[in-house]
Amino acid sequence: MTGTGLRIAVAVEARKAVASRVMASTTALLVLGVGVLALGMLLAAASGDEQVLAKLGPLAGVPGWAGLVGVVLQITAAAGVLAFGVALSWMFGREFADGTVSALFGLPVSRAAIAIGKLTVYLAWSVTVAVALTAVVAIVGVAMGYGTTDAAGVWALARIPVLVVLSALIAVPAAWVATVGRGLLPGIAATVGIIVVAQVSALADVGVWVPFVAPALWAIAPGSVPVAALLTVPSVPLAFGALCALAWSRLQLDR
Amino acid sequence: MSTAPRFEARGVARAFRGGAGVHGIDLDVAAGEIHALVGLNGAGKTTLMRLLLGMLRPDAGSVRVHGVDVDRADAATWARVGQLVEHPLAYAELTGRANLEVAARLHGLDRARAAAAVDRAIDEFDLGRYAGVRASRLSLGNRQRVGLAGALLHDPDAIVLDEPTNGLDPAGVIVLREALLRRAAAGAGVLVSSHHLDEVARVADRITVVNDGRVIGSLDPGGFDLERAFFALVHDDDEARRAAA
Repeated sequence: MTGTGLRIAVAVEARKAVASRVMASTTALLVLGVGVLALGMLLAAASGDEQVLAKLGPLAGVPGWAGLVGVVLQITAAAGVLAFGVALSWMFGREFADGTVSALFGLPVSRAAIAIGKLTVYLAWSVTVAVALTAVVAIVGVAMGYGTTDAAGVWALARIPVLVVLSALIAVPAAWVATVGRGLLPGIAATVGIIVVAQVSALADVGVWVPFVAPALWAIAPGSVPVAALLTVPSVPLAFGALCALAWSRLQLDR
Repeated sequence: MSTAPRFEARGVARAFRGGAGVHGIDLDVAAGEIHALVGLNGAGKTTLMRLLLGMLRPDAGSVRVHGVDVDRADAATWARVGQLVEHPLAYAELTGRANLEVAARLHGLDRARAAAAVDRAIDEFDLGRYAGVRASRLSLGNRQRVGLAGALLHDPDAIVLDEPTNGLDPAGVIVLREALLRRAAAGAGVLVSSHHLDEVARVADRITVVNDGRVIGSLDPGGFDLERAFFALVHDDDEARRAAA
């Protein structure tokens, strides 16, 4: 794999991602969906809705930015992984579903470079989503009056982009599964599996050192997750990114 | 330009469950020739093309591209190859022009050369009306034209096209025929599969007949009644195998 090949692969994948309605609608659904859901839950909690208060658990009584960010993180820990996993499954699985994978053979740009190009564009996109979601939540908070009532608490917003990017990192196995399974659905199934493992473990308060679990646990109870545990999360995209590059490089159109 | 065979297969075999695949094929695609593969559905034409392009690894035998083992071919070798096997490079979300630009970059052209090559390809394949239209809105035939233009825009000298007239209208068939004849005259070696014996007779220098994963003979492109000659070869081969079984 050459540097030139990788540069071309990133440029080509970026062009496809920017033009794609799947990526645009996933971004809009996640950013606006989480914003609207958080606002709705806060308003319902303020009006004393018992079901919502039960869902929020210990967050129910937390005022200001910390309460808002806590709600957003709880939703994002599941919805973010789902959105990222679906996007990745599409980026990789669509080449098989659309048949375009056969056109990616016999090129000076290696297929490993194309796989890494896809993951690079995906990670850049996740950073954009992180910034957009943080901006939307900031707007919601200001609309709720936290700008004046809880000016000092605004730093809690910084947790949002961290969790969004961590959620993107733990979804990377979906790319490998979509490649090995030759389509979108296996990738989406893998994503659901990651969410179930992360959420069930986080609720049971186990697995703080498991990279798939640490972000969800950190979203619910930041105090219980050491920074070092979060630093294990990049091992997931590194390992599965390498598996993806290998799978693409060894790919055969035998199915 | 080198006169080494553009593609060489020696005893190449790849079997699938159920007995399909190719079972020991020798094939050359020489510089400057259009070599046609004909055979019934399931005869092994696409499998052979996939083996030549590294889309499948052989169980036995060897495949060379520009004299280099297909497994070891580097970027410079692949930059001289153009192929369309089964699905065109036509991403639904990109316009005709954007798809060609993507193809040009993936074939190793830098930005400046890519822009000029795309303009030439739009002209050659008469895609002007569709350059600004997303591929998702193009007809099957026009997507195929975009795919063919993308496979040939870097002027490759080793070309593999599987059923390239799929979906093309009569005007598209002529555009493709001229594109292939022009490239072969400039030294490219072209391997093309087709079910249309009349069309094959118009462009091919050599016609190889494949049946049940083996080469069973050849047809004379200038010969009389190719269809009868083709079926006679296939029928004799089927009979011989049945008798041997």
